[in-house]
Amino acid sequence: MLKNYLKIAWRNIRKQKFYSFLNIFGLSLGLASCLLITLYVVDELSFDRSFDHADRIYRVNSDIRFGGADMKLAVAPDPLAFTMMKDYPQVEAATRLREDGSALVRRNGSTENLKEELVAYADSTFFKVFSVPLVSGDARTALTNPNTMVISERDAKKYFGSENPMGKTLLLDNERTFTITGVMKNIPDHSHLSDLHMMLSMSTNPDSRDNNWGSHNFLTYFLLKEGVDQASFEKHFDTVIEKYTSLWVRQIMNATMAEMRKSGSYIKYSLIPLTDIHLHSDRSAEISTNGNVQYVYIFGVVAIFLLGIACVNFMNLATARSANRAKEVGVRKALGSKRSYLVGQFLTEAVMLSFLSLIFGIILAYATLPLFNNLASKQIIFPFGSGIFWAIAVLTGICVGLLAGSYPAFFLSAFKPLTVLRGAIEHNGKGGYLRNSLVVFQFMVSVMLIIGTGVIYNQLNYIQTKKLGFEKDQVLIVKNAYALDTKARAFKDEVAQMPNVKRSTLSSFLPTPSSRTDNTFFPQGQLQQDKGINMQKWAVDYDYIKTLNLKMKLGRAFQKDFPSDSSGIIINETAAKILGYANPIGKQIYDFEFNSNKKDKTYTILGVVSNFHFESLRKNIGALSLTLQPSYGLVAISLEGGNYINTINQVQALWKQMAPGQPFNYRFMDEDFDNVYRSEQRIGQIFITFAVISILIGCLGLFGLSAYTAERRTKEIGVRKVLGASVSNIVALLSKDFLKLVLLSIVIGSPIAWYGMNTWLKEFAYHIDIAWWMFALAGLLAIVIALLTVSFQSIKAALMNPVKSLKSE
Amino acid sequence: MIKIANMHKVFSTEEVETTALNGIDMDVRDGEFVAIMGPSGCGKSTLLNILGLLDNPSEGSYEFYGTEVAKMSERQRAQIRKGNIGFVFQSFNLIDELTVYENVELPLLYLKTPPAERKEKVEAALTRMNMMHRRNHFPQQLSGGQQQRTAIARAVVATPKTILADEPTGNLDSKNGEEVMNLLSQLNAAGTTILMVTHSPYDAGFAHRIVNLFDGKIVTEKVHV
Repeated sequence: MLKNYLKIAWRNIRKQKFYSFLNIFGLSLGLASCLLITLYVVDELSFDRSFDHADRIYRVNSDIRFGGADMKLAVAPDPLAFTMMKDYPQVEAATRLREDGSALVRRNGSTENLKEELVAYADSTFFKVFSVPLVSGDARTALTNPNTMVISERDAKKYFGSENPMGKTLLLDNERTFTITGVMKNIPDHSHLSDLHMMLSMSTNPDSRDNNWGSHNFLTYFLLKEGVDQASFEKHFDTVIEKYTSLWVRQIMNATMAEMRKSGSYIKYSLIPLTDIHLHSDRSAEISTNGNVQYVYIFGVVAIFLLGIACVNFMNLATARSANRAKEVGVRKALGSKRSYLVGQFLTEAVMLSFLSLIFGIILAYATLPLFNNLASKQIIFPFGSGIFWAIAVLTGICVGLLAGSYPAFFLSAFKPLTVLRGAIEHNGKGGYLRNSLVVFQFMVSVMLIIGTGVIYNQLNYIQTKKLGFEKDQVLIVKNAYALDTKARAFKDEVAQMPNVKRSTLSSFLPTPSSRTDNTFFPQGQLQQDKGINMQKWAVDYDYIKTLNLKMKLGRAFQKDFPSDSSGIIINETAAKILGYANPIGKQIYDFEFNSNKKDKTYTILGVVSNFHFESLRKNIGALSLTLQPSYGLVAISLEGGNYINTINQVQALWKQMAPGQPFNYRFMDEDFDNVYRSEQRIGQIFITFAVISILIGCLGLFGLSAYTAERRTKEIGVRKVLGASVSNIVALLSKDFLKLVLLSIVIGSPIAWYGMNTWLKEFAYHIDIAWWMFALAGLLAIVIALLTVSFQSIKAALMNPVKSLKSE
Repeated sequence: MIKIANMHKVFSTEEVETTALNGIDMDVRDGEFVAIMGPSGCGKSTLLNILGLLDNPSEGSYEFYGTEVAKMSERQRAQIRKGNIGFVFQSFNLIDELTVYENVELPLLYLKTPPAERKEKVEAALTRMNMMHRRNHFPQQLSGGQQQRTAIARAVVATPKTILADEPTGNLDSKNGEEVMNLLSQLNAAGTTILMVTHSPYDAGFAHRIVNLFDGKIVTEKVHV
């Protein structure tokens, strides 16, 4: 029987070439898109799962409110890890990482520095928590002694080639020497620690033994014992705060925890499972840029929608063409076929089509994977070798076939033999309603994707063109200026003399978003914890304000004529507002040092700078201050228009002369700025891609459906033409019904899209408002596309000789 | 005034060529009632379709009220058909989704007749065909005779100069057939030119002139007095 089913299915597919093509092509596109998105989602979900006991590893998150600012940190105070370990037997192991930023690294004896993007101090217990195997060295002792380090296989190759690096030394930033005591396997790509290739022993870093409960700088990880519940363990943090943090508060702030809380301040610690970090953590001081679970959800929904649209095509075309199959059903039933046989036959046909589509879909997905990787900024490898993948693929093929084929199968097999043999098929029954709802669903998805794309691109455009309060265009930034050492200032001054250069400034701080922490200031004479204000403190030079074209609102900028400016401070409008002075000029504020070993510093407010967007437009402009201090990270050079290449070459030549052997890195400030919104740009591109695919699949279905409608209404078209209908009358007649459906889908899809995109926009403190014309435009686009699709068939039908139409009876 | 000269129509498929009309010459005067007769496959319906501007001849000339229409495109033919020719088919060809009233109204819609005038004309036509009481029914709810009367109402509603009828009684019993023929005679008496294809000598008896076709040629013509 199955053989008979398969034979007939195959013949039908071959006989109905046009419809088979539409079906297979649409379904292949849908399956390929769905497959790619699934690979993306699986990739995102697989982060940090490859470590042993990944389900028992947690990181400590800190939530702090102090000095009018809320801080959500991925880091904890230095004593927390081992205090918990000591006090609570539930902890099997604990370890900390202390980010040390980037470094210039070279082998002893080499003159060429290489840039290492991420260097961190790590406790010797790192390998107890994270099962990263060591290629050489002893995991238990590798990071025990001061001035030792563990590097990854990648870095071993990078600095030592095929030599054995064990016992050899590396020089960091031209001054710190570390001995290599271990080489570890590269941390897997799918980990939030994957950028970590160089770990220095924590014992080298004196801050790690400060016992400072007020300073949060350490990524803290616990491996909990089996069976320990996260929530019940978290409760112990309250005890720790009462026991230890309160002591520190009394000592440093001269207040009790109760007083702190009364003024609205608090410290809270919590745990985040290791496997949640990548998708659910977006805190200050993260060690890497994490993903966003929102996008995983969005793409998941898009994948289901795309597959749904493709299945809808299948159902629509199959039921629409039921009339052509009706006679076959009648004959088979008359010959004694049971309904279940017919259902079986139609389902076999559907599953066969589905499998053909699956094969094409997999080929298509494989072929476009490099493009998709590029689009999504991923390195996904096609899982040909994975048994699970093939099992799921086969299961998908069967499910899609059954899903798409079930309705047509039951619909067709229900025909009564006598009726269909007489040729009387009810065309506009329930099938019509269902078909219409399905078309509405398809276009609703397309309209939503079009609106989504429109909103994302408008927001990106808004970000690009927004006045930020500083000059971001034509500013060249030379990185790693600390490599110039004492010559940094001379370099900056000489650059300023070059033709085509307007000004230059030397500072580690630029108004492009990056990970920075706040300092706490107190107004003069008010060292009370509820009077504190958290703000950024940027060390800048005399030329900073002019080079970046910042505007002074009140008072003055730093000037060389006033030697006392070294203890002066310039604050922004937000800071002035929080401090609440009627006239802040001349007022004094303290930079409070949480570490009791260091001294507080008093500053006099010299001026107020107009607010500028120094952080991402996702955030409101926070409090910020500028002080006159040496800070040698970056040289920012503002250029005249014209030939940049020449200027860059000149700057590079000067660099080589003043910092021989040091890598010269530069970039333009607007590139840095764009990088911040890279993920939004990516989402925009992915959206537009899938919007186009969804429309394409939808149109394939609509095309088939309109062909069928035109065919079914041939007689009516003929009669109408005989009665005087013009071609345009007929086209309008045939298009009108589809148009109604598209209009309905716009009406349903628009509010959903509005809600979704509004939620997305709320991530930005500064965002566009969704305007009515975006909906109008998306709607118009959908209508035009639908009309074009339908009109091809309509015009063909309308131009037919009426005699032919009438003969079709 | 209809004038055709040396008209040929050849249908060709991949394998065979069939000559349906083979050198027809024919004039129809204004207000004439012409019946076209002949055995099955002799080309009657083909001739009627071409006369009704539903199809083009392969060769020859066709003058419709002074205009040469033989080489016109479907778009141009549709323009001339509109309001000038009414059709009555053997199988009625009513649109199932429309009511009696809406079916009759259709030609006027395509002529862009104003609503008030439209209503008046549709009601007049329905009254004349004795179909007013059924105007809100759908075609499936009517008897054959009623369907044909609706089709005739639709054919005359725009007061065309010519009505083409393709075996108008073919699907009707004799009583209903008689009624339809009487209606056509009345229309003819009122000045409408009628061209009718029929198998029935009885129906042909209503015409002024009978044209007999055989193998695509006119073999005899007989004029009634």
